Amino acid sequence: MKQEHGDNGTQKYGMVIDLDLCTGCGSCMVACMAENNVPFREDETDKLKSITWMRVYKLTNGKPYPETDICYLPRPCQHCEGQHGHSPCVSVCPATATDYDTQTGIVSQIYTRCFGCRYCMGACPYHARYFNWYDPIWPEGMEKYLNPAVSPRMRGVVEKCSFCIHRYQAAKDKAHLDGQKEIEEDAYQTACTQACPAGAITFGDLNNPGHAVHELKKQPGAFRLLERLGTNPKVYYVSSREWVRRAGDNYLKTEGPKKAV
Amino acid sequence: MKIDRRSFLSLGIGVAAGTALSPLPWKLTDDLSIWTQNWPWTPVPEIGETTYVNSVCTLCPGRCGISVRKVEDRGVKIEGMKGHPVNQGGICALGLSGLQLLYGPTRIKSPLKRVGKRGAGQWAKISWEQAIAEISEKLDGFRTGGNSHTVAGIAGSGQGTVSRLFSRFLTAYGTPNCFHMPSSADTYQLALQQMNGVSAAPVFDLENADFILSFGCGLLDGWGSPVRTIKANTGWKKANARVIQIEPRLSRTAAKADRWISIIPGTEAALALGVAHVLIKEMRYNKDFVDNYAHGFESYVTDRGEMKKGFRQTVLDGYSPETVARITGIDPSAIILLAREFAKAKAPLALCGKGQGRTPGSLSEAMAVHALNALVGSVNRKGGVCTLPIADIQGWPELTLDAEAAAGMNQPRLDGAAPKSPNCINQLASAILSGKGYPVNALFVLESNPRYTLADSKTVTEAFDKIPFVVSLSSFMDETACNADLVLPNHIYLERLEDVPTPVGFPRSVIGLSKPVFKPLFNTKHAGDTLILLAKELGGGVAESFPWDNFEACFGKAMGDKLKTLQNKGFWLDSEAAAPQWKDSFKTPSGKFEFTAASAAFSPVKIEGDAAAFPLLLIPYETMRLSCGYIADPPFLTKTVEDTILKHNDGFIEINPKTAQAGQLSEGDAVVLQTPVGQARVRAHLEEGILPGVVALPGGLGHTAYDGYIAGKGINVNQMIGPVQDPDSGLDAAWGIRAKLSKA
Amino acid sequence: MDSALIPNGVRRCSLDKFLVALIVVGAVLLWGVYAMLLCWFKGLNQTNMNDNYGFALWIWADLAVIALGGGAFFTGFLKYIIGKDELKNIINYAVLIGFICYSSALLILAIDIGQPLRGWFIFWHANVHSMLTEVAFCLSCYFMVLTIEYVPLILENRQVDKVPFFHHLSHNMHATMAVFAATGAFLSFFHQGSLGGVAGVLFGRPFAYREGLFIWPWTFFLFTWSAAAYGPCFTLLITRITEAVAGKKLVKDNVVELLAKISGWMMTSYIIAKIIDTVYWANVTAPSKGFTLMDFYSNNGFYGIWILVLEIVLGGVVPAAILITDKGRKSPVARTTAFVLAVIGVSVNRWVMVLQVMAVPVMTFDKWALYYPSWQEVATTLLPVAYGIILIMISYRYLPIFPQEAELNPVE
Ligand SMILES: Nc1nc2c(c(=O)[nH]1)N[C@H]1C(S)=C(S)[C@@H](COP(=O)(O)OP(=O)(O)OC[C@H]3O[C@@H](n4cnc5c(=O)[nH]c(N)nc54)[C@H](O)[C@@H]3O)O[C@H]1N2
Ligand SMILES: Nc1nc2c(c(=O)[nH]1)N[C@H]1C(S)=C(S)[C@@H](COP(=O)(O)OP(=O)(O)OC[C@H]3O[C@@H](n4cnc5c(=O)[nH]c(N)nc54)[C@H](O)[C@@H]3O)O[C@H]1N2
Ligand code: SF4
Ligand code: SF4
Ligand code: SF4
Ligand code: SF4
Ligand code: SF4
Ligand SMILES: [Mo]
Repeated sequence: MKQEHGDNGTQKYGMVIDLDLCTGCGSCMVACMAENNVPFREDETDKLKSITWMRVYKLTNGKPYPETDICYLPRPCQHCEGQHGHSPCVSVCPATATDYDTQTGIVSQIYTRCFGCRYCMGACPYHARYFNWYDPIWPEGMEKYLNPAVSPRMRGVVEKCSFCIHRYQAAKDKAHLDGQKEIEEDAYQTACTQACPAGAITFGDLNNPGHAVHELKKQPGAFRLLERLGTNPKVYYVSSREWVRRAGDNYLKTEGPKKAV
Repeated sequence: MKIDRRSFLSLGIGVAAGTALSPLPWKLTDDLSIWTQNWPWTPVPEIGETTYVNSVCTLCPGRCGISVRKVEDRGVKIEGMKGHPVNQGGICALGLSGLQLLYGPTRIKSPLKRVGKRGAGQWAKISWEQAIAEISEKLDGFRTGGNSHTVAGIAGSGQGTVSRLFSRFLTAYGTPNCFHMPSSADTYQLALQQMNGVSAAPVFDLENADFILSFGCGLLDGWGSPVRTIKANTGWKKANARVIQIEPRLSRTAAKADRWISIIPGTEAALALGVAHVLIKEMRYNKDFVDNYAHGFESYVTDRGEMKKGFRQTVLDGYSPETVARITGIDPSAIILLAREFAKAKAPLALCGKGQGRTPGSLSEAMAVHALNALVGSVNRKGGVCTLPIADIQGWPELTLDAEAAAGMNQPRLDGAAPKSPNCINQLASAILSGKGYPVNALFVLESNPRYTLADSKTVTEAFDKIPFVVSLSSFMDETACNADLVLPNHIYLERLEDVPTPVGFPRSVIGLSKPVFKPLFNTKHAGDTLILLAKELGGGVAESFPWDNFEACFGKAMGDKLKTLQNKGFWLDSEAAAPQWKDSFKTPSGKFEFTAASAAFSPVKIEGDAAAFPLLLIPYETMRLSCGYIADPPFLTKTVEDTILKHNDGFIEINPKTAQAGQLSEGDAVVLQTPVGQARVRAHLEEGILPGVVALPGGLGHTAYDGYIAGKGINVNQMIGPVQDPDSGLDAAWGIRAKLSKA
Repeated sequence: MDSALIPNGVRRCSLDKFLVALIVVGAVLLWGVYAMLLCWFKGLNQTNMNDNYGFALWIWADLAVIALGGGAFFTGFLKYIIGKDELKNIINYAVLIGFICYSSALLILAIDIGQPLRGWFIFWHANVHSMLTEVAFCLSCYFMVLTIEYVPLILENRQVDKVPFFHHLSHNMHATMAVFAATGAFLSFFHQGSLGGVAGVLFGRPFAYREGLFIWPWTFFLFTWSAAAYGPCFTLLITRITEAVAGKKLVKDNVVELLAKISGWMMTSYIIAKIIDTVYWANVTAPSKGFTLMDFYSNNGFYGIWILVLEIVLGGVVPAAILITDKGRKSPVARTTAFVLAVIGVSVNRWVMVLQVMAVPVMTFDKWALYYPSWQEVATTLLPVAYGIILIMISYRYLPIFPQEAELNPVE
């Protein structure tokens, strides 16, 4: 695997999602919506206009009954590093409204600067970016539950999973106040990771040998989505099923994914 | 001065240039973009101090510990409570959406009295005093007229202080017609009564089992306490335990299982007996348990001196793999393999209760599965099926049954069941419509939505429409509340004090404390207080049975010395008592585990419809993304529903491409689904993961009440499936219904 | 009634006829304006774009219109830099068409973005790595150049010209036009290229992605080249249409043939490059990401290999072949057919590089996404067309656009 995450003193937050454990329950999706003030509408069945920073895809092996198999694949933003931080989306944004933070490896989004050209959406092969086609409206009274740590977005801008960056900021502030240099692994955890009843998502600093993700990403059967494009994502998946690993990338007939030993 | 063309133009150009060079346009441009960044119609949440309050989620029978994040007095997020014995910090998608129910548009904001036609949605706000007065006047009238038994009550949960207050109220008032919604746990409980000889709740030591043979249990689709079961599954994966899922549809559970074995629906008990056959034939059963602690395995002589064929011979004679293969559609070799694996495991566990276990199901099936557990000794031991005694409330005074009440309680029950047996609410509607027996003059509904959740909605609706006085204690404008005459809104779970007893199937006694995390948002009242007020107003034995000033006082008495622990920790967990030894476990007449005759007999449930007119089988299925019980999907949850289940307002029926081809249907086609009890328009969704000939509909759609975020979307599966009374338990045992599809 | 405004020595239709035509086209314009206002006030939910189609009909219209408007810079380049003096007889019209195309492009962009009032952030918070930044800067600058090139034309109106200031201004501007033409050509090379770069840099989209030279993917050069090659065809096609509508010859055949010949040879070289690019992409670039050529052209209800054939053969090889042969160029029918095919060819290229890029699934579990524009999108796309026709009508009526008109159509 080229472009491994090197150990150079900075953090590289990332995830390892165990697809053998994920049940497709949708907790991560809702945890994210609730944490990040994601708006909703009466009809959310047009999935091409439905904002889900975390989206759980249903994959099938394409075989007929009874050989059919299903796997669920949760897809947050992959926080692609590309080469030297040139994520597919960050490098194309004309207004620098989305940014690759080399300190944390988080791809952030500045809603108030984004002017809605949607070039970044075209650039992202994971469909991780969502446009606010509509004004976000909460039914009367429901705006009470909005989380003040995350600003609601206005119509006409793009949004996406932020790795719950407000939690990072809070953890950093707290570490600073407590006189700690480093943010503890459990001091910064994303909402989806926390909620997952199956414990399928592990989040942490891929660079830090003390964090679980550091070893988990090296498991046999670990892969990243569309690795061959050079997007260099920081979300790893693990599956013991060969067809699932094959579904993670495009392969010619003669090729195939790495073997899980 | 004369303005000629030239000077006019120069002036114009000068003004334009001047303006352009002045700060004005730049300031304006900047201000405009700042305005777009602060559009007044995009809300800005207020900041403030953040606190966390622990409580319990009761949106489903899971009863998970939750931690509510508040900013000042606003709730901003519900999370799983770390260290809670049930859910260990995990939380499901419905639980996460709780604040949308708290602040949502379907809350009932004050007591309401119907002013228009029933169901027309015309209400007058009334005071609590007036509401209580009107109800007690009616109730008093029935009671003095000797008609107290014509009042019925339905409460979703049969447990917890409020539920018990409810049944206490109805008893003291004088009606035997107190119903709660039974589930598969009730059926398993009946199996335990006959086979273990104890009256206790069945509990499953999932965490310590290493081979799970699931007869259609939606282990990852909300079976048992949903988060706990999903966590157990993670434990199984990590410990290399194996999960075998038996069901006709590739559910999430089947997909994640180590093996999915598709089966003709309704034949699960036959498979259990087929597995038992192999275990016995190959001598792979637990000889210690069967020889020393069980009765009825070998042939035996009854008290009357009759010779009875034992479990062993019955199963050997009737359920060879070949026979079972014909019944179930499963290969004989697969049955043999399954049996061998089951026997080889250290802690094998067979489970039943289809989907989320909402339908009680067939008693003989539960017994066959329980017998299978007994054959391998997985009863009352680590990783097996255990029993948990159901504690009675100690701190309350004896109930006073005055003369009127005693007379009422002597009347037969509407469902025709014996006074102590589980209530057969599935018989309620047909009993009302049949006109035999006595009429129902009033119905009280607490924490349930029978108009939506009871099978055969059409009949239920007709029956309920005949009841002249319906009172709902719901917090939400659900289908039942919409069609009530009076609504006395309860606080919702986040606003009220309550004890939440052990979740279904959980192996240790636990009580969660539901706390008023928020001051009530509206003019609602705790259902416990409503009942106490009503009792006082009614006077007599009813008032005497309710000696407390308010619910809090009554609750304190009910919790007794557990109250302190509850308040300190948020939950009370019983010390881990070792399961009784086999020799002390069974309270049957023989003192041993009883292999009953019923446990060795496959008696298929006769589902409705004849095969010629209805060539297909319709089965309901449940998913974590659709709440199909007394709570309707909040907007967040509906947002997670795939577009192959719901598209705009169209619901989809799952169908195998082969079946579709036979009916010349393709993906997305509009079809008419017909069953003996209902008809509806749906669209076809082709899925390879379902047995040909079987079609499936999800529960939780097709609401007509609540709000625009859920109402009118898809169809209610309960309107398509009628109840089938189990001959052994009287409970609803329908696992589906015959159906046909035609192109719309 | 308006005869005082009409250039000397030419004949125009009656004012009534002119006004009726204006009203008809104006109605389309108003429809477009209405749709535009809907998009601005209600937001882009008025369109059928979605999260898979961040770029859709408008961006295609934008790219197409800029490619077609390429006639302005390339003709200017030929006339002022290379010194093909005959082209002075068509340069005015090329500039006008360019002006229309580019102003339309800017208008479309202003409707297309989700936050039009913040559109200027593209300049203020410019990201130098983004092709779109390059597009925005060059496009705006070139539009100013085009305005400067168009203004002297307006000043040549009989009445305006009477004002001594404007007369001199016009004269001086003409004298310096070569400088602007050079600037314009330079800017155009870049923004046409960066528009190509917009798709070519998308390394997450194997259908669009191309390797290249330094920071520029091959599409960068192919776009510039194709705009230079196909743009003049559009100028010539519009000229032909204008002649048909006016019912008279406006530009002499030798001028048309010269421009057509240059265009033909440009197209020939372009299409060879494009074929090489396609072959390399299909055999090397895409397979390295796990895709075969046919992955991009199968398993969906619209995009088949036919679109590649349409673009390259019918819209490239054929018109190029017609225009580089003497016989083809000299036959008005063959020539006009070539113009039409060329316009189709370059439009299909831009379509494919915008819409098919969005349609092709990249994740293996993605589906092809097809999209149909809403009426609001169609109306706002027709808006610039109507606006262009109106501007042409007015300019043609009141400005001496075609220097050879009087000579070719003497007024008795
Ligand atoms: N506070 C609160 N609690 C709730 C709800 C709520 O809205 N608020 N919702 C309720 C709903 S809808 C559901 S689905 C439930 C689950 O409500 P239930 O289905 O009623 O209860 P379970 O948790 O499934 O446990 C059922 C088992 O408990 C035992 N049991 C219960 N009551 C009695 C009894 O009176 N006598 C005997 N002998 N055994 C009994 C039986 O063995 C039965 O199998 O959760 C309920 N819990
Ligand atoms: N077909 C079918 N049968 C079922 C089930 C099912 O989902 N489908 N579920 C089974 C199970 S496990 C159970 S426990 C029962 C469920 O019990 P049911 O009687 O089927 O009723 P539910 O749909 O659970 O609805 C309970 C009602 O309580 C209302 N409610 C919610 N919160 C509150 C509150 O705080 N206070 C008050 N007063 N009302 C409230 C809801 O709006 C709803 O109307 O039915 C059982 N049987
Ligand atoms: S919450 Fe966990 S188990 Fe559920 S869908 Fe998300 S990752 Fe999968
Ligand atoms: S997943 Fe998409 S949005 Fe996220 S960093 Fe990668 S390209 Fe950007
Ligand atoms: S939509 Fe916003 S974030 Fe995306 S490229 Fe355009 S300005 Fe940047
Ligand atoms: S990391 Fe945070 S923002 Fe991203 S999907 Fe998870 S909850 Fe949502
Ligand atoms: S599983 Fe049930 S109790 Fe637990 S959080 Fe979900 S809805 Fe609440
Ligand atoms: Mo229940």
